[in-house]
Amino acid sequence: MIPLVQAPPAPVVSAALTDTEIRVSSGFRGARIVLYGAVFDPKARPSDIVVIVRGPDQPLRIARKTQVAGLWLNSRPVVFRGAPGFYRVASTRPLRDIAGFAPLRHLGAGLEHLAIAAPLEQRVETTYGVRDVVVSRLGADYLDWRRAVLRLKQKAGLYAADPRGVRFVDKGLFRAELDLPAEAPIGRYTARIVLFQDGAPVSIRDRTFVVEKAGAERALYLFAKDRPWTYGLVSVIVALGAGWAASVAFRRS
Amino acid sequence: MNALLLVVLGGLVGFISGMFGIGGGFLMTPVLVFMGIPPVVAVASEANHVAASSVSSVIAYSKKRAVDFRMGAVLATGGAIGSFAGVEVFRWLRLIGQADLAVSVSYLLFLGVIGGLMLTESLGAILRRRRGEPPKPRRDRRPLLLYALPFKVRFPRSRLYISVIPPVLLGVFVGVLSAVMGVGGGFILVPAMIYLLRMPAPVVVGTSLFQIVITTSLTSVLQAGRNQTVDIVLATLLLVGGVVGAQLGARMSGRFRAEELRALLALLVLLVGLRMGADLFLKPEEAFVLMTGTPR
Repeated sequence: MIPLVQAPPAPVVSAALTDTEIRVSSGFRGARIVLYGAVFDPKARPSDIVVIVRGPDQPLRIARKTQVAGLWLNSRPVVFRGAPGFYRVASTRPLRDIAGFAPLRHLGAGLEHLAIAAPLEQRVETTYGVRDVVVSRLGADYLDWRRAVLRLKQKAGLYAADPRGVRFVDKGLFRAELDLPAEAPIGRYTARIVLFQDGAPVSIRDRTFVVEKAGAERALYLFAKDRPWTYGLVSVIVALGAGWAASVAFRRS
Repeated sequence: MNALLLVVLGGLVGFISGMFGIGGGFLMTPVLVFMGIPPVVAVASEANHVAASSVSSVIAYSKKRAVDFRMGAVLATGGAIGSFAGVEVFRWLRLIGQADLAVSVSYLLFLGVIGGLMLTESLGAILRRRRGEPPKPRRDRRPLLLYALPFKVRFPRSRLYISVIPPVLLGVFVGVLSAVMGVGGGFILVPAMIYLLRMPAPVVVGTSLFQIVITTSLTSVLQAGRNQTVDIVLATLLLVGGVVGAQLGARMSGRFRAEELRALLALLVLLVGLRMGADLFLKPEEAFVLMTGTPR
């Protein structure tokens, strides 16, 4: 009999969300989702957890105000393709203490590593005899614009980083709270849970949840989107009807 | 957004609207913008609210036989053309990212000029009355242009026999404004009807409101269909308060002297115009702005 030599089992992370469906109705004031997870590691090495939540990608347009002849005017807007509509990274410790540049950049963990597709308005040209050089219209300003996107989104409560957002509540058991603001976009979200050991990601779990409009809100949203003209007509009829009703009501009183 | 707050706001603006015979859009749109509603949504949804509170006032005025429906229809024809053009202009402005600029500049320009003119005129009238002087006689000579142009039509209610071209052009202009500024345009129409068309004062307000109802209804449908920027919930909350306020305002309007009412309105118009225009001159705290709406 040859003794079976077992490789030590690799550490694994698993996680679950308390809600996988957030229903947005007219009174929606935001929601809190709780994420629970566990680290299975027989050797019980020191572990760090990073949770990265991304909302549905949306193209976004941003303009810069510049002073022209004493007036503050918007520049031509620049389009960023596929910036996430929502982004939140939570971790057990500050990210830079958990891992180095490369793994964080690769995972898109942290606001400075968040991947936002380059601006749409690029042109391809031949520079110094080298063909097909992609030149962004933003040029050297690119970083300013990128930072501005992050800043504005943070101000709107849509992007955030919380270096203490994940807590170990018991041996191997962790918990993270995820607050969705009322402005959180509709769509499919992914939560990526990453287990870090010795500065390297050793196990990754993906969980998804959806934010969707519910009830009357959903009906109106679909109505406005699918039949904009009828929607407009209905809104006017409501308006004129209300005006007429008020005048009738006041004549009687 | 607080629903009750919106209803109350709608009521306040509706009250002012009924009292002064204006749509109230020039007040409501800036308020909505300051409350953080994207300007494009505010402008489009506000047209709907203006339609509601104006219809409520028009009915009140038409009972007093103070609406010249024929003149209103002529103005509205121009208004329809203007709305079409205005919604397309607004769409184009949004795409090039200059919609905010257009809104600020038009507010500063139109409200500033009209508020200023109205204020000097009404303060003059108040001062003359205080000194016991007789009111300045109204010049009865109408601009020759009204009569020289072709397509003359009789407007019995206004006791006018003039070419339809000036009112149609006026309508077009107001229609464009209605789309770009989210206003009914009463603050332009009323003075223009008095000073340019020389319509008798009693029918001016009712007629202006009648034309506003038609123009803003159309703008609303067009904004929803073309730009998808009408928020029916927002508009409904505003108009619930708006229609009630408008009725109360129309009843109150008889209790004030006309020139005092005008001076008050002028001050309001001027302040709103200056506030909306101020952003053009002040250094912004944040140099970048996210544009609402996704590009196609």
